[in-house]
Amino acid sequence: MASKVFNLRIDREICQGTGYCVRISPELFELEDSLHAKVLNDAPPAEFEEKILEAATLCPTRAITY
Amino acid sequence: METIRDLIPPPHIQGIKHFVDYALVDEILRSKNFRQGSHQESQPFFGDSLLTIDHDVHFERRRLQAPLFRKEALEYYEHKELLPLIDKALEECKENRDETGIVRTDLCALVRTMLARISAVTTGIDDVDTPERTDAFRTYIEQLGTGATVEWSTEDHSEVISRILKIREGFVQEFYGPSVERRKKLIEQFRNGDLSEDELPRDLLTLMYLHWNEEWDEELPLREATLYLVASSQTTTHAVPHMMIHLHEWFEEHPEDFEKRFDRDFLKQAGHEAIRLHLPSPALLRIALEDVTLSNGTTIKKDERVACLFTPANRDKTVFGDNARSFNPYRETPNVKPWGFAFGGGEHTCIGRTLVTGLSARTDNDEGTDGTLVNIAAALYKAGIEIDPLDLPTYTELSHHDAYGRFPILLTNL
Repeated sequence: MASKVFNLRIDREICQGTGYCVRISPELFELEDSLHAKVLNDAPPAEFEEKILEAATLCPTRAITY
Repeated sequence: METIRDLIPPPHIQGIKHFVDYALVDEILRSKNFRQGSHQESQPFFGDSLLTIDHDVHFERRRLQAPLFRKEALEYYEHKELLPLIDKALEECKENRDETGIVRTDLCALVRTMLARISAVTTGIDDVDTPERTDAFRTYIEQLGTGATVEWSTEDHSEVISRILKIREGFVQEFYGPSVERRKKLIEQFRNGDLSEDELPRDLLTLMYLHWNEEWDEELPLREATLYLVASSQTTTHAVPHMMIHLHEWFEEHPEDFEKRFDRDFLKQAGHEAIRLHLPSPALLRIALEDVTLSNGTTIKKDERVACLFTPANRDKTVFGDNARSFNPYRETPNVKPWGFAFGGGEHTCIGRTLVTGLSARTDNDEGTDGTLVNIAAALYKAGIEIDPLDLPTYTELSHHDAYGRFPILLTNL
């Protein structure tokens, strides 16, 4: 079975910079000085699926798409 | 009638610094140098709930509750719970037919009925099924909402708190207590290996008792449940009447758009405009954790309380355009969320926002659910909603909130 392909993105205009995504997965997200989250790897391997889902759901503005 | 009013700060936010510019309000809400400063009088109802805790504790509580708002859960609430309940509530309205055969009802009560069951499902309250039980449950939510927003009440606050605490006892006895007991038993069965985790209900109360934190007090689940019950119905109940009256005026001025009353994208944008202009929480307070200097040079001392006035911030011309104070379902807001601060901001952004507006954070990114506003508005138009010309809506006199107390409607297609 083909593994899931992600296209991880953050909508910077609605990101509120809470840093929740960074706390869930510092391997995938980073908080910039401007208090906007940034994606470190936009095509992470399938093993990150649970973390991606949690970060996307937990984001208060749901700025993360995948 | 006047349908767009200015916010007159109620007594509890007078005498402190007010922020009304969108950018400054956004800065304060996003800052880690502030903590929640609202809901001080309403602690008996909301104390230590997700709404009033900050930073690490807030993150952990939110993380615990996040599964309730996963995409699959939201799709389930909307398609399996909300849509049938909207139909059921409209069906029940047919009993309110007058002597001329027209169905008459009150929009505020109708919307609360539509939402009662979905509030119960997400929170974990059982047996909200018959019209009688739904009616009783809806009334409890309404009363708990009065207690939970006592700061905005025009009545004597201490009297309101005493009265609603008494009413809450009835709610606990009738609905909350039996629901908690059932969940505790199910969790015990799960711990004994007699049930799998998948067989447990997926709701707030189950999550809290399943992942009990020794630092919580025994009554915390009740206050958290109160937050869920009040918040999950309040935003939509508050917004739908505003949305309907604005659309009524819009269609009068733009008859060519009348056919769009069934267009879900149009309704979605109309809903966003309604909650941008008429916020269920028109102001929130924050307390500085240290001396803070904002980007415009304003200084705020450690422990100082400040008020973020969302109503004027959501009508800020520099963000929403010169006609920011008016309703325009075609408004474009490329740099901000179309509802502005209707769901707060920063880490305290309402966890249930997606229930109201659907999964998409923006209007151009539909991801599968439309939310309560669009679904209820579409159903009301299908039912032939008309504002009763002989009995016009009136604002509530019991609160400083920008809310309708009565909203008589006709449902001409039922």
